[in-house]
Amino acid sequence: MAGLELLSDQGYRLDGRKAAELRKVQARMGVFAQADGSAYLEQGNTKALAVVYGPHEMRGSRSRALHDRAVINCQYSMATFSTAERKRRPHGDRKSTEMSLHLKQTFEAAVMTQLFPRSQIDIYVKILQSDGGNYSVCVNAATLAVINAGIPMRDYVCACTVGFVDETPLADLCYAEESGGVSSLALALLPRGGQIALLQMDARLHQDHLESLIEAAMTACKGVSKVLDEVVRQHLQEASVLTRE
Amino acid sequence: MAAGFKTAEPLEYHRSFLKENCRPDGRELSEFRTTTLNIGSITTADGSALVKMGNTTIICGIKAELANPTVDAPGKGYIVPNVDLPPLCSSRFRPGPPGEQAQAASQFIADVIESSEVIETEDLCIDRGKLCWVLYCDIMCLDYDGNILDAAVVALLAALRNTQLPEVTVNKETSTPEVNFEKRHRLHIHKHPVGTSFCVFDDSVLIVDPTAEEESLSTAQLTVVTDEDDRLCSLHKPGGSSMSGEKLQECINRATARQREIQKLIEKVTHSVTTAQ
Repeated sequence: MAGLELLSDQGYRLDGRKAAELRKVQARMGVFAQADGSAYLEQGNTKALAVVYGPHEMRGSRSRALHDRAVINCQYSMATFSTAERKRRPHGDRKSTEMSLHLKQTFEAAVMTQLFPRSQIDIYVKILQSDGGNYSVCVNAATLAVINAGIPMRDYVCACTVGFVDETPLADLCYAEESGGVSSLALALLPRGGQIALLQMDARLHQDHLESLIEAAMTACKGVSKVLDEVVRQHLQEASVLTRE
Repeated sequence: MAAGFKTAEPLEYHRSFLKENCRPDGRELSEFRTTTLNIGSITTADGSALVKMGNTTIICGIKAELANPTVDAPGKGYIVPNVDLPPLCSSRFRPGPPGEQAQAASQFIADVIESSEVIETEDLCIDRGKLCWVLYCDIMCLDYDGNILDAAVVALLAALRNTQLPEVTVNKETSTPEVNFEKRHRLHIHKHPVGTSFCVFDDSVLIVDPTAEEESLSTAQLTVVTDEDDRLCSLHKPGGSSMSGEKLQECINRATARQREIQKLIEKVTHSVTTAQ
């Protein structure tokens, strides 16, 4: 395929990273006063906001309440100015609905919902700037927001999108790589036990490569979990300094 | 103990502060919350600004697109504002189509843009009758703590200041537009409209920059938009308790003072960004 070289001979990608290198992650927790939990996360040029309300009483139809656990309600949306071309329908379109469903399923695997029967936890994620790996950045931001809300989880949920080019797995794809015809796989992991919460791949990939790709994804996710852990500890330290006085 | 009183009798709680001429967060009656401004943070947008007034956080992103001008105004481009109050900003908003408040706010912003002539729409015209710029201004609230309209106007103004449009030339032979993304020029801002919101308590006490709680307990609300030539661009008082002419004049005076402050803030931030580049 003519055009940009996704992986050069020296092993450098389009933005100068090595194959297994993640983008720079910067995150802040507790950014909004109204919400029970909130977080802002930047992974390279992708910026996402996650806000959590809950656990609270079921809104809307009481009949949808589950008698033994909480219902998790996720909404994913992108700001209209987040992509190079203005997004006409930021929410309600098929892609957003599918993403919302995936986020819901991911967090149902991690959040200890059986502690809050008959209640609802709302997770809203908004992408302010999109540069690839939208799902992964959302999951990472939402993890921090859920922790900030004080909702118990089994483990951090870390996600990463990986791709396969020239027999090499590339970790944390950016938009140019995603749209450049790379077979991409999104993985959400609970790092301590190495358990996979969600795995999604809609591209052609030879079976023999699958294992190495999943391995690369799990390593990348463990890397992300270290960063998130650091952010949480930092935030707790700052908060405890303020409350100590 | 104060928290219990606040939950049980919110109006009495606020009244006890107002008797001492101050408010629960320690502000004076005519004092604004700390306003911070951050511009140009969203690189996918042609212009962006993030405003925080206390806890209220609003982000505005501007995307410019090419379009055909309308038949009745062939020499002008147009601006399309949209205010979005998503459920993430407050638990009072449900997911779904835009509610009343968001639609009313969008219309208010559209009226302010038109009446204040913040941008000459002739500047947005590229080829008379054939090609013009459309500026989509998407104003999104990220944290709702009252006084959305003021913050939205400031965010819009700062984002317009930050917007850079690429150069467009029309190829004579093929009559297709050619966009040069390398050469960009700033939008010329003619006027700087700034809004100031007030709310009235018990039909008598006037306070500036209400928080969400104060708004919900107020008996009337008022928003005044003025520009740097001390002209009134918009005055919005949706019902509520009646107000005398003198009170209104006080509000307008406070609004003109606020306009100066905000204009200075925007100048300072814009200047610091350009010198940093």
